[in-house]
Amino acid sequence: MNINSVLFVGVGGDGIITASNVVAYACMFAGFDVKKSEIHGMSQRGGSVSASVRYGNKVYSPTDKMGSVQFMLATEKVEMLRWVRYLNNDSIVVVNDRIVPIIGQTIDESNIDGMIETVKVEKLIKRRFIKDANRLGNSRLVNTIILGLLSRFMGIDEKYFVEAIDQVLPEKLRTVNQSAFSYGLNLSEKYS
Amino acid sequence: MGLKVIKKIISGNQAISIGAYKGNARFGSGYPGTPSSEILEHFKNYPNVIAQWAPNEKAGFEAALGASIAGTRSFATMKHVGLNVAADPLMTASYTGVNAGFVVVTADDPGMHSSQNEQDNRRYAKFAKVPLIEPSDPFEAMAFMQYAFVVSEKFDTPVILRSTTRISHSLGVVQFDPRTLDNEQDLKLEKDFRKYVMIPANAILRHKVVLDRLEKLKTFSNETPINKIEKGKTNFGIITSSMAYNYVKELLPDAHVFKVGFSYPMPVEKIREFVNKFDRVVVVEELEPFMEEELKIAGINVEGKKYFPYDGEFNLDIVEEGLKKAGLIREETTKVVFNKFELPKRPPALCPGCPHRPIFDILHSLGRNIFITGDIGCYTLGCLPPLSAMHTTVCMGASISMGVGASKVQSEQKVVAVIGDSTFFHTGIQPLIDAYINNANMTVIILDNRITAMTGGQPDPGSGFNLKGESVKPIRIYDLVKSIGIERVYDVDQYDYENTKKLLKEEINKPGLSVIIPTRPCVLAPKKIKETPLVVVPDKCIGCKRCLRIACPAIDFKDNKAIIDEVLCTGCEVCMHVCPIEGAIVKKEEK
Repeated sequence: MNINSVLFVGVGGDGIITASNVVAYACMFAGFDVKKSEIHGMSQRGGSVSASVRYGNKVYSPTDKMGSVQFMLATEKVEMLRWVRYLNNDSIVVVNDRIVPIIGQTIDESNIDGMIETVKVEKLIKRRFIKDANRLGNSRLVNTIILGLLSRFMGIDEKYFVEAIDQVLPEKLRTVNQSAFSYGLNLSEKYS
Repeated sequence: MGLKVIKKIISGNQAISIGAYKGNARFGSGYPGTPSSEILEHFKNYPNVIAQWAPNEKAGFEAALGASIAGTRSFATMKHVGLNVAADPLMTASYTGVNAGFVVVTADDPGMHSSQNEQDNRRYAKFAKVPLIEPSDPFEAMAFMQYAFVVSEKFDTPVILRSTTRISHSLGVVQFDPRTLDNEQDLKLEKDFRKYVMIPANAILRHKVVLDRLEKLKTFSNETPINKIEKGKTNFGIITSSMAYNYVKELLPDAHVFKVGFSYPMPVEKIREFVNKFDRVVVVEELEPFMEEELKIAGINVEGKKYFPYDGEFNLDIVEEGLKKAGLIREETTKVVFNKFELPKRPPALCPGCPHRPIFDILHSLGRNIFITGDIGCYTLGCLPPLSAMHTTVCMGASISMGVGASKVQSEQKVVAVIGDSTFFHTGIQPLIDAYINNANMTVIILDNRITAMTGGQPDPGSGFNLKGESVKPIRIYDLVKSIGIERVYDVDQYDYENTKKLLKEEINKPGLSVIIPTRPCVLAPKKIKETPLVVVPDKCIGCKRCLRIACPAIDFKDNKAIIDEVLCTGCEVCMHVCPIEGAIVKKEEK
């Protein structure tokens, strides 16, 4: 059974639900069956958050099996590591180079970076996307830039993502997000 | 009329609301609870429907039952534990039956993503002798909800539609015609003394009707198309329902599958035929062995829970492990190649600026001689370190009533009950009356942020608006509590940390009953609150970490100094009040 999946991981408030909705719609517009899972409630209060988009000819489970995720979008480095068992050697991971502090814990960033280096996947893109977003004039555009970058590896055409952005985002945010998506897609040349 | 098909990606909860509308339901009530809350929030957007939050699930259930008897298709929504609160009307609504279709939606929470237990509400269907319908994805959630109203009217019974977190909060592609079906019957309000007045003489007769109905439902379960066989190529069969069906289909695409959609009463005869064709049949179901027991009682030879866990949420990995144990899968479909890292956990926390924070910091600082009975809401997070200021949490409303008991039997520990406004309206009022009439020696803190915050900001009777966003006159908790006759009742602004602490200390140490109502609103809902952020003056900060003890996500500690994230900080000033150094934390503009 040929199912692809994108796993989104991060911290409550990172915009993971919206980003995963854009991907879900892009996959549907590209002609795939899609299932998506997300977690609400207590886990949203600043805790670890994840969402999963699975697409293929026919998809049953909305959640992933360990070792089966092709694409991961991580908005934070500790959370990327938390979900590492879902990846395999062929996975493509895009992670925003940032750490969100945890109450009552001291996190050694170089230690985290060291752990990330041991994760031998097909491609691991770690980048301070906040710099790209600020260059575009809005720090909230991080996820859309990453989606643009990821879309090249997913092999889903830009036009479906543009349509999906129109579907999911309110009108006033569409143009800036479409530019951010194109920016990310251009960025992907550097990493292909 | 031509078809007007829409293709969208929707959640199970949205799908349930569409199914209700398409099935001609025009009245929906309930109480918010993860994972059920979004059903009514979607339903309210349809034309000509009445959608309303009730103060608790029992009230919501009964309102919907009343609407049904008055001739309108209706439904009530709640989380699994909400049906415990509404169990009283459920048991007898089974006897009265319905007039227009009436569906009870329960959203269970296997894995306890946001709940205090993981009870399996399928048991309620058997207990109340009412039909149980279980969708496995958003498309079925829509279709089965619509179907549930037909079943309800056909058999004159409430119907339970059971979702789970993974169905309610998963999204799938659904194509549908959004209009209502043209199957509306012109039902009028029905007065029927024998049917709707459950005095013993009538109830004795109705119980026989219920038993007779159950026999008819057993036959129907063998006939309904939502109990179906999906043919495969294996020499074994699988019986499954709900979310577990999806895992089975993905892991064993070639298996013969009996998919149960109408799971009480079970389609026993149809399954008997199915089972007879195979060497072995395994039941794959999340939580309780509900189907397995029903089949074994009927003398059908199946296996099940000896391979699968009784607790926790299923997923592909757990189901695969069970199927492997059962010998139905030889090798894993995928291998785990990376080992787990030792990482700090990231538990949920009270938001920056949350008005509950100062209360728990104060309670923590008042020492070890206080026993704090807690309740259900965001403020349950006050139990976690470093606030660590809650000693019990059982169910909605239990803070005050458990406090009554604890205060009556001992006096070494001062008893403080902590409850939110929505929970107080839900089931806290009667316990407070209990505390009053039985002279409990305790302090009750009603955290009045005027919203049901944990479930996403639904209005409660104190909010001043309703589910539809219309303005209504709010109930003031102060007046309500005063009307009971309790004398020591105080509204307090908890951002005024010193005075709040003084009041709490005095009241906790006085004998008798007092009620303290901190009145700051939620910082997230109905609107986000953000004042001028605070900053740490590094030269003055002595690195004592006192501000870290309030567990604010906006405060971090680097190079022996506290630092405040200006983007997260809402300017509530609680850290400034607890800081021992004057001028070490200041408003940003004053720096």
